[in-house]
Amino acid sequence: MHNLGTVVKFEVIRTLKKKSFWIAALAIPLVAALVGVIIYFSSKTTGDMGRQLNNERYSLGITDDSKLLSPDILRSVSAQAVASPADGQEAVRLGKLDAYFHYPADIKKQPVEVYGKEVGLFKNGRYEGLAQQLLTQSVILQTSPNIQAIIQDSVDYKSVTYKDGQEDKGFLKLIAPGIFLVLFYFMLVTFGGQMLTSIIEEKENRVIEMILTTIKPTTLLVGKLFSLIILALVQMIIILLPIIAGYFALRNQLSLPQFDLSSIPLDPLAITLGAVIFIVSFLMYTGLLMTIGAAMPTAKEANGFFGAAMAFTFGPLYAAPLFVSSPDSLLVQILSYFPLTSPIPLLLRNAVGNLTLPEALIAIALLVLTTAIAIRIGVRIFKYGALEYSRRLSAKEIFGKR
Amino acid sequence: MAKNSSLVSIDHFKMSFGKSTVIDDLSFTVKRGETFGFLGSNGSGKTTTIRALLGIYQPSGGTLTINGSPYRVDGSIKLGYLPEERGLYKKEKVLDTMVYFGMLKGLQAHDAHDWSLDFLERVGLKDKARERLDKLSGGQQQKVQLGITIMNNPDLLILDEPTKGFDPVNRRLLMDIIEEHQQKGATVIFVTHQMEEVERLCDRVVLLKDGKARLYGTIEEVKEQFGGTELEIVSEQIVPENPKLYTVRRHEGSLTILEPKTDAFAIQRSLVSSGVEYSRFELKRPSLDDIFVQIYGDQNEEEAHHA
Repeated sequence: MHNLGTVVKFEVIRTLKKKSFWIAALAIPLVAALVGVIIYFSSKTTGDMGRQLNNERYSLGITDDSKLLSPDILRSVSAQAVASPADGQEAVRLGKLDAYFHYPADIKKQPVEVYGKEVGLFKNGRYEGLAQQLLTQSVILQTSPNIQAIIQDSVDYKSVTYKDGQEDKGFLKLIAPGIFLVLFYFMLVTFGGQMLTSIIEEKENRVIEMILTTIKPTTLLVGKLFSLIILALVQMIIILLPIIAGYFALRNQLSLPQFDLSSIPLDPLAITLGAVIFIVSFLMYTGLLMTIGAAMPTAKEANGFFGAAMAFTFGPLYAAPLFVSSPDSLLVQILSYFPLTSPIPLLLRNAVGNLTLPEALIAIALLVLTTAIAIRIGVRIFKYGALEYSRRLSAKEIFGKR
Repeated sequence: MAKNSSLVSIDHFKMSFGKSTVIDDLSFTVKRGETFGFLGSNGSGKTTTIRALLGIYQPSGGTLTINGSPYRVDGSIKLGYLPEERGLYKKEKVLDTMVYFGMLKGLQAHDAHDWSLDFLERVGLKDKARERLDKLSGGQQQKVQLGITIMNNPDLLILDEPTKGFDPVNRRLLMDIIEEHQQKGATVIFVTHQMEEVERLCDRVVLLKDGKARLYGTIEEVKEQFGGTELEIVSEQIVPENPKLYTVRRHEGSLTILEPKTDAFAIQRSLVSSGVEYSRFELKRPSLDDIFVQIYGDQNEEEAHHA
């Protein structure tokens, strides 16, 4: 593997110099930041509007036949008693009152009538909101604090489950090994195309002959593979760092859920298996996509095969519930052992904890074998098909004795 | 290594693509330190032979060796190869690309950097060092590729149609560079159908036709093998017929062209004894260009006839 370092360095640096790499890398955190900003301002504006409405004073008339409303609360909004619904409705119609609410005697059967002065499509809702608020607050005042908590849906629940005599961590235990599933999905979606074009570029630039007489094809392909892994990691850091930093800096302002990282359970075996499956799967797909790239004369022709490879990879996601609920079913077993479909079932099953060690080891061995075969075939195709600029190689030409 | 020993050896080389045989039983050697012309028309199999020699193609038969064994990129021979199919990383900068290839060829990064700048200055491209290759003209890109080819000071320099796309000035520059490497002792294989350059630079040649070596040897030997020697005589008198010694091909005023059947001295003696006085008596050999045209002209005529 003489010159491997030179190839890796060249490939990494030239990709880092490309605008497209940075656009792709920065687009996700930028979009995330944009969404965050929109959520923040939307939430702020809604809050401001709510406060503005609450502080806004307007003349209000009320007829309380239900006898549920609290006089203290009615006083707090300066509501005046109106003798009948007809009077209240007429007063609003003539502009003498801004709003009038009639609470009927039997609110279970009859609606609360709300009349108001038109103040715009979005602001008109304030009358109904206030009518509901006055009723709820008045009723809550008449109950005990516990009942108030139930009515206000502010009761906390704490669940503990046990597995094999040990406290089970529930969904939290999925997080650490599940990260590898997310990483695999992310890396393939963002880097799949680049793996493919990385090889086709050599053909399209007609640089193959210079390369093949200078370094071994294996060195070039493995160098490209390593550089892609490094670039994928760099891209991941570029994407995740601002998102993580943004989360910790703005989680309170954006009302984001609070995560206590120390509460996430770390199962060394599940994490190790997840990492190994992730690395081997990524290598296998990189080798596979490079092989496709070496066999195809142009990026356009390679894209059809790329689509098929992606269908094999992400197709099993449709059976995700089955991987969790029926790990022993025939379909799950086939999808878990067939190398082209196995990464997602294996990573998902490892995360939910139903992948046994023997199953994992057999599947990993199959993935390693497939990776080795894919890279070997890729090198062979690259070596013998490299000068085929206008036609794709046939299977006979690829596998035929040379 | 002895200067006359073979560096490149091609022995009973055969190459087929499917049912089509491109090269059929080709054998020749290239000696250490010589400049060897590998000649043939378009599609005659020159590039295929070179690719097979360099391991890009697997031969259908025969052996092709450099320094006694099939070519390996990590072998002991320093190779400089300018392929017929030109191409570099078009989106990369000139200097970055040259340094990259220099490092792949075993140079230290700073040496490759300095060498590249010197070369670019020599070929008038120093101001383009930090430009992207696709911003350069075809000829300029070719000069960069030539630089990459020779930057490791190769023991064996294989140039496949090196003058293709070069204007006369740059062709001159290329010839100078080749001559420099000749003087340094490099073995040069010059794949071309530009016969003037071959006559100027090459020690020996092989000429391919129909996948076989049609002519092979030094330029003189090739001319000898072709047998197209002519004798030019300028005389005010008529040169008499003498079928035993020569055939009169044509008369053009005072110029008579003879095809000799014996050595020139015998003809000279015969003319003198016949009383023919001449102002010029010159044995002329055909140029490689004449030979090439005649060989491939025959082929074209045959093809036209079959068509």
